[in-house]
Amino acid sequence: MGSRCGVLELDGLRRRYGDVVALDGLSFTVPPGRVFGFLGPNGAGKTTAMRAIVGVAAMDAGEVRWNGEAIGTQARSRIGYMPEERGLYPAMRVLDQLEYLARLHGLTSAKARANVLHWSERLGLAGQEQAKVEALSLGNQQRVQLAAALVHEPELLVLDEPFSGLDPAGVDAMSDVLAERAAAGVTMLFSSHQLDLVEHLCQSVAIIHRGRLVAQGSVEELGQAGKLRIAVRVAGDDAGCWAQDLAGTAKVEKITAGTVVLALDARADAQAVLDRARAAGPVEQFGFERRRLSEVFRDAVGSGDKDEDPVGSIGTAELS
Amino acid sequence: MTGHWWELTWLVARREMRAQTRARSFWIASILLLIAVAAGAIIPALVHGGHTTARVGIVGGPAAALSQTAQEAGRISGTTVTVVPLPDVASAKAGLRSGRLSAALVGDNEVLVKQQPVGGTSSPGATLAGALSQVGGLQRLYAQLPPAAAADLARRGIALPVQGLTPPPRGLASRLTGLAVAILIYVIILTYGVRITIGVGEEKASRIVEVLLTTLRPAQLLVGKVIGTGILALTQIAVMVAAYLLLGNAFGSAAAHGAAAGVVLAGGLWLMLGYAFYCTAYAAAGSLITRQADAYNASIPLQLPLILAYLLAYTVLYASGVSWFYHVLAFVPFTAPVAMPVLVAVGAAPAWQMALSVAISLAATVGMARLAATIYERAILRTGSRLKVRQVLGSAR
Repeated sequence: MGSRCGVLELDGLRRRYGDVVALDGLSFTVPPGRVFGFLGPNGAGKTTAMRAIVGVAAMDAGEVRWNGEAIGTQARSRIGYMPEERGLYPAMRVLDQLEYLARLHGLTSAKARANVLHWSERLGLAGQEQAKVEALSLGNQQRVQLAAALVHEPELLVLDEPFSGLDPAGVDAMSDVLAERAAAGVTMLFSSHQLDLVEHLCQSVAIIHRGRLVAQGSVEELGQAGKLRIAVRVAGDDAGCWAQDLAGTAKVEKITAGTVVLALDARADAQAVLDRARAAGPVEQFGFERRRLSEVFRDAVGSGDKDEDPVGSIGTAELS
Repeated sequence: MTGHWWELTWLVARREMRAQTRARSFWIASILLLIAVAAGAIIPALVHGGHTTARVGIVGGPAAALSQTAQEAGRISGTTVTVVPLPDVASAKAGLRSGRLSAALVGDNEVLVKQQPVGGTSSPGATLAGALSQVGGLQRLYAQLPPAAAADLARRGIALPVQGLTPPPRGLASRLTGLAVAILIYVIILTYGVRITIGVGEEKASRIVEVLLTTLRPAQLLVGKVIGTGILALTQIAVMVAAYLLLGNAFGSAAAHGAAAGVVLAGGLWLMLGYAFYCTAYAAAGSLITRQADAYNASIPLQLPLILAYLLAYTVLYASGVSWFYHVLAFVPFTAPVAMPVLVAVGAAPAWQMALSVAISLAATVGMARLAATIYERAILRTGSRLKVRQVLGSAR
């Protein structure tokens, strides 16, 4: 069990609401100590999966395991959860609210209070502890919500859209906290639609679509999967004309301000491309391009059913 | 259920009490209720005190002594007495029946009144008849001072007997107390029930329930809420009853005197039974709504049975007496919390009936708690449109 310590496993989760299949055999594993993003289009089943982890949605089949064991009430008191639709008592003071939540998760009164003060300081809520939640700005309510998820020193963080509704400063603060918690060894799973942010922040992601996993891996791995790309810029050729007769070795994907992005079939072709570029003029830029996460995402969830899944080789997708 | 289970549940209950007592509306409602109770205790006394003139007939002799007795009795009962000498008892009775006389003092034998008072002469200072009885009795005692005669009188009772031409009203004091008790039970259960509905609705609508249920079982949240609210309700009722008795005594209101103690006890019992029966149902009603604004409407179906029992209580207490229908209501758990104390107040509920109704109510409370917990657990996390009970019971969480 030692190796399973801090590992969150979703195994074959199925849930149907009437005619709607929310989860269709969803399985993936979240390792500890990594900022782990959970992606998928609207209605993919992210929220249902997260609610299954924290135990507020019952599953038709499947199991959630924590430290190698089926997750139970005891383990769930070690989860910090931020629901998508948020949830705080509007008329309760920040201090009372956070202390109450900490105590519900098993902290002593003194420890709860100390943690409340720590997190309200850390999240920039100092001085607002006596205010009622409804009197705070939306951004500050969001901070309180995060504090509520962190105040009991959870070992597992489940955050549903933690970045939605935050201003840039709030996004930075949230990002810092997530990175810091992951570095401290906490296991975390957070969903987001802000792919650029996720790409920047996350070490690993899981992408789901229609209740199933369609891709999983580190951001690095996913970016390098599929076809190789290179970006080349030849000085003075803003239209990228030099690339026009590369047929056979590379395919032009796009040209922006003279930078030509090419898709290659094999790594070896890159040298041939470089030779061509040199022949056309001085090469100002030449490098392999990772796929953006947004591209990975688009490819993974497609527009319809995916006959060709560009990241299928890396994703542990089980398309039964 | 382990100690840990109760520990968390108690945290929920404590938060509930704090949250409710922090709201200004709680104090406004409590103070208004207290004012109503104080008015109920004081006004009857004030109304009684305003009746300050009376004609008292005296029959037999010695007329001077009797007249003086009547005057003195009037003085201590706060009544201005006009003495009317009468030839015989028959004319005294005629005067009482026609209402020309308030009371008649017949020699040193007895005091006649139109209607036999409740509880005899227990409150000499408060009523004219009581004062006549006491003062007349003492007069007689002193007039026949030889010890043997005094002892003989003491054995028969020092105060003059008070005779009514008609039997006493069936426990007017206990009827008044019965009405007060019915009102209080009805108001308290409705007030706190609706608070539970609103509280549960708030937790659901604000989605905090989703955070809470990661560490609490739905049953803990439900039980903690009804216990916390119940403690507040009990505290409030204790304060109200204490205020009623204290003020009632201070102002000499007949409604607060000993005769009605049984009614108050029955009322206290049924308040607890009624709260226990209804509290989980109000929570279930709250779990069905999705918008805070629907909370009150969702609780209305639960209010109707008590409103019915309360309104019909007036007919039982003041008009037609106990109908078979009202008797049935006293055994139905939805209406018994108001109906049974009303029956007790008019003396229409023997002990075995009370016990039977309590047993039915306790059994129904268990059933209601189970049903309500099921509804609550299934509905509390379901958002979207407002849910119907049947819809919830027909599906899993």
